[in-house]
Amino acid sequence: MKFKNVEHVQTALEAAEYICSKTIATVVFLAQATQKPVLVEGPAGVGKTELSKAVARSLRRELIRLQCYEGLDETKALYEWEYAKQLLYTQMMKEKIDDVISGSNSLSDAVDRIADQEDAFFSERFIQPRPLLQAIESSQPVVLLIDEVDKSDPEFEAFLLEVLSDFQVSIPELGTHKARNIPFVFLTSNDSRDMSDALKRRCIHLYIDYPERELEMKIVLLKIPRINESLAEQVVDTIRKIRELELKKKPCISETLDWAQSLITLQVEDLSTEVVADTLNVICKYRADVEQVKQKIDKIMN
Amino acid sequence: MVNLVLKFVSCARAAGLRISTSEVLDCLNQLELVDILDEPQFAAVLRANFAKSRREQHHFDRLYHLFFHELRIDESIAHSEALAAQIQEALDNLPLESNGNQSSQAVLNFLKGDPLQFLEQLRQALSGRDGQGGGMGANLGAVVRRLELMLQINAFDNALLEFFNDQRGRMNWETRRDLGEHFNARLKSARRLLTQQPMGYDIGAEKLLSYKKHLDRLGEVHFASLTKKEVEEMREVIEQLVRKLKDRISRRFASRNRGILDVKKTLRRSAKYHGIPLEIIFRTRPPRKAKIVTLCDVSGSVWSAARFMLNMLYSLQECFTQVRSFVFVAGLDEVTQIFEDHEINQAIDKVLKEANIEYNAATDYGLTFRQFHNEYMDIINKKTTFIIIGDGRTNYSNPEEQILDEIRERSRRVIWLNPETQQFWYTGDSEMRTYQSCCQEVRPCQNLNQLLEFITTLVL
Repeated sequence: MKFKNVEHVQTALEAAEYICSKTIATVVFLAQATQKPVLVEGPAGVGKTELSKAVARSLRRELIRLQCYEGLDETKALYEWEYAKQLLYTQMMKEKIDDVISGSNSLSDAVDRIADQEDAFFSERFIQPRPLLQAIESSQPVVLLIDEVDKSDPEFEAFLLEVLSDFQVSIPELGTHKARNIPFVFLTSNDSRDMSDALKRRCIHLYIDYPERELEMKIVLLKIPRINESLAEQVVDTIRKIRELELKKKPCISETLDWAQSLITLQVEDLSTEVVADTLNVICKYRADVEQVKQKIDKIMN
Repeated sequence: MVNLVLKFVSCARAAGLRISTSEVLDCLNQLELVDILDEPQFAAVLRANFAKSRREQHHFDRLYHLFFHELRIDESIAHSEALAAQIQEALDNLPLESNGNQSSQAVLNFLKGDPLQFLEQLRQALSGRDGQGGGMGANLGAVVRRLELMLQINAFDNALLEFFNDQRGRMNWETRRDLGEHFNARLKSARRLLTQQPMGYDIGAEKLLSYKKHLDRLGEVHFASLTKKEVEEMREVIEQLVRKLKDRISRRFASRNRGILDVKKTLRRSAKYHGIPLEIIFRTRPPRKAKIVTLCDVSGSVWSAARFMLNMLYSLQECFTQVRSFVFVAGLDEVTQIFEDHEINQAIDKVLKEANIEYNAATDYGLTFRQFHNEYMDIINKKTTFIIIGDGRTNYSNPEEQILDEIRERSRRVIWLNPETQQFWYTGDSEMRTYQSCCQEVRPCQNLNQLLEFITTLVL
């Protein structure tokens, strides 16, 4: 399946339970049309990872996820030789090796004969593909999500650059693997450090901010169908006001949803000051933040 | 279309955005794929290609609005084409005295609908790169440049007014009204740009840069001459540095240990599989951690250096097996407990008030060493790094260097940090020459950079 135009992206993602602005839809559409990776930035919890999942769902593609962390290296991201399996095979085939070298009359002859068989052990059979290789080798087109790429080391970023520009990987023992299908690549970043210009240049940049009021309303109503509209409105308005405060961590969409969900569980019909004060822990993740919101709660509720 | 985008790009570049040619090409290619008559799509394509970080985004949005909204001639006016010609004519005939300098040309072009020069001047004014009138820490240059632009805008405002008065007889009143509205809107947006701009993206980067410079400078300031505010800033710096250092240590540890085969364990494990080494065990030896004993002089100026060192040592506590600290003036007291029980900055304040020592006495190194020798000699062993912070001014009492010698014998190393300026080290009652021979290392420690260098060699 393919997106036909920007509107189609919007409706398709909506069907996959992801409501997006036109900007997001345009970028997604362009990324598909130009086969470029998308670099998604934005505060935590605005749905960066969710976007790639939704795209995978709506395109009916498999999602391959690579979570980045400090110290991530090629053996974890690309491929690894399965040592134990190789060893097991050697053990089992000891007799076969005897067969191969039987009848050879000198040592160098025996070595030559074994050398002919060498490829057997560094072949596709013993390679363990990690996410990047999986995405490239897959016979079906996939969505590749490289999550929190800013957490990885700069060296890994450079390595990624090579993979993302040509969509090919060279394995010294086997040669170059070219992608059968160019995967739909998403990179997400939390701004913990700036990505290099080279990487940015190869990507289409998308910044997802906190959503507009209408959009957030739609998201709440879609994700939590049981909520009634007036409560949803109150929830969204309150959250938006809390976001305006100087908090350590501002509540994002996922917090809005969690909060709405917990209000429903508590069977709250109408948002009052007490209810907000009691359920603040769902919205604010720092004690200082909770205190601050509590102090200004009257202002927020009016 | 291509021309329009290129024009926008050159404006954006003039205003300080970094846009590469390949990004322009990408953008043009992508514009063919979307419905450019739908503005959100068009804007999204431009934004995705030209503003590649959060900082640039605001800047981009403002430029976009300026270029594609404020500077377009309003199509709703029935005779817009005729108006364009009128505008041109009006501007050519403006009764303006000083037509030659850059700023007036820039404003003129801005009124004509070409903001390139204006933006460029604005950026120069804001980044203050011209250097005119800028003394130490003054942003006078920027103010002067902006004032000049502002004056030009006002001059144009007046000139236009005059022009319209002159033309009263000759020009149709409707045209006059439309022209007036048009120019007013332009001048307004020019003024707004001028006043709003400081929030822009370039400024953020510049500010960051100058802040970094400021911190670098802070690193060179003598501890004793820091102001209270600077001490606060120092804390921030120290926190950052400590975090960086920890990162480096852990990464270094991780990479050093990668791939070292533990033969013994691998062989033992292979017994399970008939002697075939199926499971390979790699060695992970914990890094060697030092035990630290610090002896801090808390008299006067020395203390300011000591507090920063203690701050760093305790922030890096997990890099050492143990940190024990003593403070002294004449006679010493252990303050390890205070540091363990309180948050670091509180602890430092507490140490200055509550340690069991005579704060007002004259510094006596000999007495201190004797006391240490009697009470705490047992904590020194071959793993201990012994750090003394002090100026070595004994007030002519017995330096007792033989005790320090003994400590050196029993410990891994003795390091003396001296916060005094180096040229005064061996003068007056300073016993640095005596103590120097008892230490493996003597370092000056007057500012943050020196301290940091020391701490880095200590933990790495």
